[in-house]
Amino acid sequence: MNRAETIRALNELYAEEIEAAVRYLHLSATVKGLDRLLVRKHLLEGMEETLEHAQTVAEKILQLGGAPRLDLRIQLPAERTTASDAIRTALTFEQGALEAYGELLNKVTGDVALEEFARAQIELESRHVASLQLLIEG
Amino acid sequence: MDSWKAFDQNPVTHSVAHHLVAIAELLDEYGYARVSDVARRLEITRGSASITLKSLKHRGLVTEDDRRFLGLSAEGEAIARSIRARKAAIGMLFVQVLGVEPRQADEDTCKIEHLISVHTAERATRFLRFLTSRTPEVQAFQAAWSRFDEPDGHDPAQCPCHDICRAAGEAAAPRRVGAASGRSRKSHEPR
Repeated sequence: MNRAETIRALNELYAEEIEAAVRYLHLSATVKGLDRLLVRKHLLEGMEETLEHAQTVAEKILQLGGAPRLDLRIQLPAERTTASDAIRTALTFEQGALEAYGELLNKVTGDVALEEFARAQIELESRHVASLQLLIEG
Repeated sequence: MDSWKAFDQNPVTHSVAHHLVAIAELLDEYGYARVSDVARRLEITRGSASITLKSLKHRGLVTEDDRRFLGLSAEGEAIARSIRARKAAIGMLFVQVLGVEPRQADEDTCKIEHLISVHTAERATRFLRFLTSRTPEVQAFQAAWSRFDEPDGHDPAQCPCHDICRAAGEAAAPRRVGAASGRSRKSHEPR
């Protein structure tokens, strides 16, 4: 993968992370019921973590000589959600992000720095996905 | 008129239509479709595609095998085929008959492909078949249409489009000081 393709792939991940942060915020705002007290905090932590991931990706793009680019197309329903549905939704888009980093890792084989970057992000995302899965199973 | 209610109640939303058609096109072109392929084709994030596809799987329109390759159920395939057919018919009508630029036609078709009735699409297709029949009457009709230019005296008040041509004319040309209203302007451009 050449530099331009790498930057394009990283920009896709940047959008992935920012969109996930927006989704976390929206879920935290729409979750209802008694579990709201616990889940809302978890969702807002998720938002902060994904924003950190976005910043990390943005820095990587800058290091490669590119510029972070954002073109979000997102419509979020005006519907209240239950705690378990909110966690399931979060799990769905977090798994999507995890797969996207896995795809990046496959593409950058041979570039040690990018491989390490992708692996580090995969580890973070995997932990996040696992924590969401625990909430659903519990 | 309760048309707007039908619009809101359409179970095939714009997003659903795009996801189903994307899968159908990917299957045609590559023989497989994954979440990442759908996301890339629709220029959306993988997270966004995952959420919509999860809902479509739940509705029984999309399938996913053990290796996470996507497919369409019989119902999903029928919907995708119907939307693609309507898109093709309306797109041809816009470009070949109305003379709309292909890019604009594609954009406009995209907005209505999943909303217009099958009957209307069939009538559009029938009309296209009529146009391509190349009979002398059709050739005369096409020649007349290609030459069609309205006289300067076109009166928007008498136009079947109601006020659309007047609004379009006013938007297209800045109002001149002291000039009469758009009524005297030529509102319909020749093709």
